[in-house]
Amino acid sequence: MVVGGSSELDPMGRVHGIGHGTKALLFAISLTLACSVSERVVAQSSETQAGAKQTNAPTTTAQQGIGATKEDAMALPDAPLPAAPADSALDLGEPLSTSALQPPDQSPPSGGLSLGDLGLTPTQTEGDAARQALFDRRTHMLKVHQRLGLITVIPVAAACLSSVGAPPDKGNYGNTASRDLHVALGATAVAMYAATASYAIRAPRVSGEPARGGVKWHKYLIYIHAPGMVLTPVLGAMAYNQINSGQKVHGIASAHGAVAVATAASYGAAIVAVSWPIHLNLHKSQRNP
Amino acid sequence: MKKFSRLAMVLLLLPASAWLNAQARPSDRTAPDQTWKLDQSTLTYHMSHPMHEVDGTSHAALGKGVCHVGQCDFLIAAAVKTFDSGDSNRDLHMIQVTRGAQFPIVSVRIHLPQSSLDSPTLDCDLEVQFAGKTAHYAHVLFQQKIDGTAHHITGIVPSTLSDFKIDPPSFLTIAIKNAIPVRVDMVWHAL
Repeated sequence: MVVGGSSELDPMGRVHGIGHGTKALLFAISLTLACSVSERVVAQSSETQAGAKQTNAPTTTAQQGIGATKEDAMALPDAPLPAAPADSALDLGEPLSTSALQPPDQSPPSGGLSLGDLGLTPTQTEGDAARQALFDRRTHMLKVHQRLGLITVIPVAAACLSSVGAPPDKGNYGNTASRDLHVALGATAVAMYAATASYAIRAPRVSGEPARGGVKWHKYLIYIHAPGMVLTPVLGAMAYNQINSGQKVHGIASAHGAVAVATAASYGAAIVAVSWPIHLNLHKSQRNP
Repeated sequence: MKKFSRLAMVLLLLPASAWLNAQARPSDRTAPDQTWKLDQSTLTYHMSHPMHEVDGTSHAALGKGVCHVGQCDFLIAAAVKTFDSGDSNRDLHMIQVTRGAQFPIVSVRIHLPQSSLDSPTLDCDLEVQFAGKTAHYAHVLFQQKIDGTAHHITGIVPSTLSDFKIDPPSFLTIAIKNAIPVRVDMVWHAL
């Protein structure tokens, strides 16, 4: 029987210089006091440690262990508390710590409630790294789609602006410089548009659910600007050939301008739609706490 | 006679130390064991960007609490994918950014003394597991209204992206704000 946890025991288990009766008395006192100390530590850990809120399970477990070992630690120096946060004076509502990556099963830290107790199955709680990789790939491709789409606005706008100089000037069919510029800008816009669209088309599908919110209108508008991006250069080429052959633009080619405007407008609307609703709060968001 | 006096001392000291022991115990030690169930919940995160103010809401949280020997453990969990911001593209992006496919559950653990469960303000220390990380929030205050057996609890968890090592997503090259407070509105019942 260990009394006081000292090593001054003879082979018979007696403490030198102390009689049996005193030993029994000391044992009874130390046992009861140790019980009270350990229960105080365990049961009131969240109340008595006002500053040091040790909510993490390893610390609680360590405290319980320390509380239990107090029984034979009356004559021993206190061991340092493992994992106890040193900076116990913490601001209200501030995070105390952030631990490292947890295993995907998110199991309880110490014998407490588990996700299984909530009725969640392992299938629901376990992570899927392959699916996460799919999400990452989707996001990457859609970011490129977004960036290219915004860049494409430049040639689209330039083609629209340059269209002013594209028609023959008062029957002067020989002046082709501004018309060629318009053709070049239009071709660039179409090429950029195709590259932009390819990233959205090739992005992996991760959800079978129908689109909700602004992206729904973003997708609806594809039915306007995608055919428009095909039709506009075709009609433009027809108009170009008619002008080059000395003819006035006629027939379906005369719709080139209207189709181009509708296409550019729907393209711009698609950009706005995916960003909708817009709440400008520039003055507040400059700070990033 | 000497042995008798020592025995008497032991007999006298034992009740005294037993009394000390009882004093050391919390008063709610004798409170009956309880099990709590989360009946209704609305968890709403708020995201700020110069062009957007977005709220994403989940009503699909599950929760349970167990009280034993005067101490209560609560666990609340929700699937990351159940948060709905009204835009499916944004929600999928949120799942990607928060690694929601790899860590599909956000869970909150709370440890409370049973005696505090009926107070109008709950001072909670939260352990939040999200995006593969665990963050601790000290002294988060929740308001409680007790209506019959229903305990209606509201409050805000002052979470941030950096607490969980989440890279802030950006739109038009401008990152969203780091603060992502989560508004909590729950109704609990004791079983």
